[in-house]
Amino acid sequence: MEHSTFYLGMIPLFPLLGAVVIGLLHVFTCKRWQVPQLLYGLLACVGPAMSFFLAMRVFLELRALPVEARFFSHKAFTWFSVGDLHLDMGFLADPLSSLMLLFVTFIGTLIHVYSIGYMDGDKSYGKFFAYMNLFLGSMLILVLGDSPVVMFVGWEGVGLCSYLLISYYSEDRGNVLAGNKAFIVNRIGDLGFVLGMGFLFWAIGSHGFDFLSLKANAHLMNESTILIVCLLLFVGATGKSAQIPLYVWLPDAMAGPTPVSALIHAATMVTAGVYMVARFSFLYVEVAAAGMVVAWIGILTALLAAVFGMFQDDIKKILAYSTVSQLGYMFAGVGVTAYSAGIFHVFTHAFFKALLFLGAGAVIYVLHHEQNIWKMGGLKKKMPITYWTMLIGALALAGCPPFAGFFSKDEILYSALANGHVFIWLIGVLVAAMTAYYTFRMIFVVFHGNPRDQHAYDHATEAPAVMTVPLIILAVGALFAGFYNLPAIFGGEQMISHWLAPSVADHHAQHSFFLEFIAIATSIAAFAFGIWVAYKRFGKGAEEPVFAGFARFAYHKFYVDELYNALFVQPYKTVGVAISEEVEPHMTDAPVTSVSRLYMRVGSLVKVFQSGYVRIYAIYMILGLGIMSLILSQSLN
Amino acid sequence: MIHDYLVLSVILFCLGMVGVFSRRNFFTVFMSVELMLNAANLAFIAFARLQQNMDGHILALLVMAVAAAEAALALAVVILLHKQTGKLDTNVFSLLKG
Amino acid sequence: MFAHLLSVMIFLPIVAGLVLLLAPLGRTTARVVGFCVSLAVLVLSFDVYAGFTATGKLEFVEYIPWIPSLGIAYHLGIDGISLFILMASAVLLPLVYVLFGTREKGYYANLLLVEGAMLGAICAADMVLFYVFWEVMLLPVFFMLGLYGGPNRLPATLKITLYTIAGSLLMLASLAYLAVQYHTLTGEWSFSIEKMGLLNLSGQAAAVALFGFMIAFAIKIPLFPFHTWLPDAYTEAPTATTFVLSAIMAKIGVYGVIRLVMPSFEMELARYAVFFAYAGVIGMMYCGFAAIGQKDYKRMLAFSSASHMGIIAVGVFSMNVQALTGTIYQIVAHATSTGVLFLFAGILEERTNTRTINDLGGIAAKAPLFALFFAIAMLASVGLPGTSGFIGEFLIILGALKFNVWVGVLTGTSLIIGVCYMLWMFQRVFFEKSKAASVQFKDLSPVEGLAFVPVILLILIMGIYPHPFLRKIEPSTAQFFAASSQIVAQSSVVSPTLSAELSTEKN
Repeated sequence: MEHSTFYLGMIPLFPLLGAVVIGLLHVFTCKRWQVPQLLYGLLACVGPAMSFFLAMRVFLELRALPVEARFFSHKAFTWFSVGDLHLDMGFLADPLSSLMLLFVTFIGTLIHVYSIGYMDGDKSYGKFFAYMNLFLGSMLILVLGDSPVVMFVGWEGVGLCSYLLISYYSEDRGNVLAGNKAFIVNRIGDLGFVLGMGFLFWAIGSHGFDFLSLKANAHLMNESTILIVCLLLFVGATGKSAQIPLYVWLPDAMAGPTPVSALIHAATMVTAGVYMVARFSFLYVEVAAAGMVVAWIGILTALLAAVFGMFQDDIKKILAYSTVSQLGYMFAGVGVTAYSAGIFHVFTHAFFKALLFLGAGAVIYVLHHEQNIWKMGGLKKKMPITYWTMLIGALALAGCPPFAGFFSKDEILYSALANGHVFIWLIGVLVAAMTAYYTFRMIFVVFHGNPRDQHAYDHATEAPAVMTVPLIILAVGALFAGFYNLPAIFGGEQMISHWLAPSVADHHAQHSFFLEFIAIATSIAAFAFGIWVAYKRFGKGAEEPVFAGFARFAYHKFYVDELYNALFVQPYKTVGVAISEEVEPHMTDAPVTSVSRLYMRVGSLVKVFQSGYVRIYAIYMILGLGIMSLILSQSLN
Repeated sequence: MIHDYLVLSVILFCLGMVGVFSRRNFFTVFMSVELMLNAANLAFIAFARLQQNMDGHILALLVMAVAAAEAALALAVVILLHKQTGKLDTNVFSLLKG
Repeated sequence: MFAHLLSVMIFLPIVAGLVLLLAPLGRTTARVVGFCVSLAVLVLSFDVYAGFTATGKLEFVEYIPWIPSLGIAYHLGIDGISLFILMASAVLLPLVYVLFGTREKGYYANLLLVEGAMLGAICAADMVLFYVFWEVMLLPVFFMLGLYGGPNRLPATLKITLYTIAGSLLMLASLAYLAVQYHTLTGEWSFSIEKMGLLNLSGQAAAVALFGFMIAFAIKIPLFPFHTWLPDAYTEAPTATTFVLSAIMAKIGVYGVIRLVMPSFEMELARYAVFFAYAGVIGMMYCGFAAIGQKDYKRMLAFSSASHMGIIAVGVFSMNVQALTGTIYQIVAHATSTGVLFLFAGILEERTNTRTINDLGGIAAKAPLFALFFAIAMLASVGLPGTSGFIGEFLIILGALKFNVWVGVLTGTSLIIGVCYMLWMFQRVFFEKSKAASVQFKDLSPVEGLAFVPVILLILIMGIYPHPFLRKIEPSTAQFFAASSQIVAQSSVVSPTLSAELSTEKN
């Protein structure tokens, strides 16, 4: 290839360098003098912005190539090579990664800008931006990695940053525990990822372990191996993307600062699982069962999280559960082999969910870190920009045409229906109604009605421009992102699906306008129904409800956390304490101590002969000599 | 003839032995040890006479030399111990008691 | 540079240590002398590293007959496997002279002695020479632990000493068995490790000898269930000793397995390797669980170290090139991560006068640089990509999966077990609110910080760009599995044709 690919490696490098520079600056100065916040802010935004421009260049270069040759890679250096395992630190640009690149860097940059305002006055301002840049760098490695192992580097890197940022306010024990939970639960998923890579390697890795070689050699694997590999990789995806049964960490992860929730726990990192499944689509299409597991886990997670979302009272928790729920949709999409639909939803979701989180962050910011929606109300008048942008985000999330979420969600539901998975489609429609309900429950309670806390209301003002401008930009995205993949029924060309086609192995059923019409009609009906119920109950202002029965059960998230705690965490600790206090001293060490005790006991028996009196020793000597002479004389005779 | 010498030697040796076993005063013990050494010397000389060679004489002389050296060393030790504790009782010194 | 590079590296610290013991010098002088000598060894080791050509054979060979009638020789040499353990000890030991306040003269003298003995054991290419250095290694540890350790040092000292000596005796017997077998098969006396590698013993007696070796090395490494000396010794020993024990001496145990056991007992290992690998896995899990129950951070790190040694053992017995290469890499990674964590624990202990986790808190806010370095070492120890720990652990898991699926899966759980105790400890020591003991905590001084920088950089570089390191290891490990042993001894059956083959081999 003629053109230089060197800059591909620079994309993750810029934020990583930024992280190092900011981090060192922070570590060496935080005890002595105050570095101006502006300097940190500028340094932090440079890396992501540069990456964004390079991502644009990648995109344009790919577009200039003919469709079947739309990929190029850059091998920075040989990473390691042992036996028949050969790995390069290589980066791969193809339609799939370029799309992810574009919105990750774009939204990443916006959120960095927003954070300049949100984190204003924080005492470890530099640390925050170092972590954020580190996160972005890791995420870009994840996206660009040209082999599963390089991808895994980014995969674990984002997990680390997620941990660091969740426990950012580390003085509070609860935050750190939430961080630990996130890291450990993610690690459980990572175990699946590592084992999946292991099986994959021993199956076909000796022919090259980068994605292109794997794809070319996938036919050499037998079905059961593919199934094992797919399921193990999906375990990794459930950890990172918060699916059943490993979803529990994401709601707790809201302990971190709000821009973190927007960037990491909504727009980018949590979608890595979907991206990974799409990356490995060449394996998933081979075995239908693997896809079905993914789809069912996805849609059930969507349902469960939507149920939880309907009863939360913390604004960030509502959004967190809606994220889990939307991630479930994405998995349902990739599970029914509609990879481009899943990725399209990742793309639109990134805009409107980041927007919603940032909007929620603005609300939290002006209300001095109040997150309970039942302490808010009537903020529409005080924060118009935030209100209108969040409304756009909410409409997109709820799936109102023509906002972004409508098209992507509909694409998934239509694919499920068209590929013959009626139950998945039905649950999907149900979840769509619930989504509309809980989203507008939040909007109505926070922005409409009368203020519930008059004092806080009086002091509320619109957030500063550095925060509202990113909101507006994201709102534009949430409004128009959907048009990039307009289906044929609306006269569109499905640009994103066609763009992604060379990367993912979409399976297209016979296209049917009739089914598509049904899907669209039910989606709109579900949306309308959900929003109508929400309006009836909360539109005119409502008081905090007292939950009972099922609602109470759902409010406590079906006690899943408590269950996991009782099933896994407590036994683990108990075993640890039992081993160190009982097993170790009384069983493992027992043979050793008993040997030494045996010596002691024998010694204490023998020591009576050691009187310490020299006369007695003399007697022993004479006795010994006597016995020796007796024996000698006997033997001489 | 040789028999008498040997009997005397055994008697002397047993006297020394009993002295070492039963007495607690350093000097008495010390003298008893010397007595045993001399009993051995007597036996050496007697056997040398019997065998008509000088080996026994040489050994006897060697024992005397060693006894002299030992006496010098042991007396020094005893004096030191006496200086430390002011006692001459062997039972006082039982550091090796198990 | 000059002919006897390895000998100089071995005997320079030993001679310097003996001189320090005898000469009437002050503490500071002793410290400076120790530092300079270890630095000189470091410089020499770079010379070795640069001159090493990765042929898969022994390099820098020195050969002087010692007891010719039995074929015992003063025979030194290193290959890709020993090179990295050598480098790890040479790079890490100068650190301890910088970090801790001036201690007794004997302390530094013993440190020098132990360095020389360890280098000797690493470079030895003769079994008897190896055994001699192996025993000498223990002596300085005995004195450092017994004289300068914590309040409960005496039982700990006795335990480690008796335990190790018991193991050494078994090893001596097994060594003799190897040499005798070699003699019966070839009619020639030799204790050369290389020549023992030509053997391939099997049968009941061989199994006994194999277990003799394994118990000796399992005690030193230490592997479950022979690890019980470790928590006491690691906790009571002065920090430098703990560091030496965990970072380097334990690795020489692994090295012994690779050098002495694996080449000579291929047939028996084919039968018992699964057993040993499971022992490694169980040890990893057992010590990992035990670590979470600890209240004392030094003890927790001790168990964590033992847990990682379990993974390394799995790597050794997985019998393929990925796992073995990963093991060597992990040995160095573990030396830099866990070893350094012990140094940090020593600093914590020195500044807060407590070893109880719950007495501390909020140190990250007080000492950002310390927290940063600690976090990097900790992340390397839990195997995060981008740090040295990942490469080794990944290769070991990969190799273990090939060897036996269940061993591989169970080894993988170390990913989870490791983070649990580490994060929990990190939370209670570095996060949350400061408590009385940690409220006055001072960050690393510039000198201390600078001393750690090379190691921290090494952790990162080994994670990001491991290729140059692995390139030196891989030929030796590949050689391991490529060359099958020429001499097969079936119990006591000697086949004349095989002896004939060997006589051609000798030429």
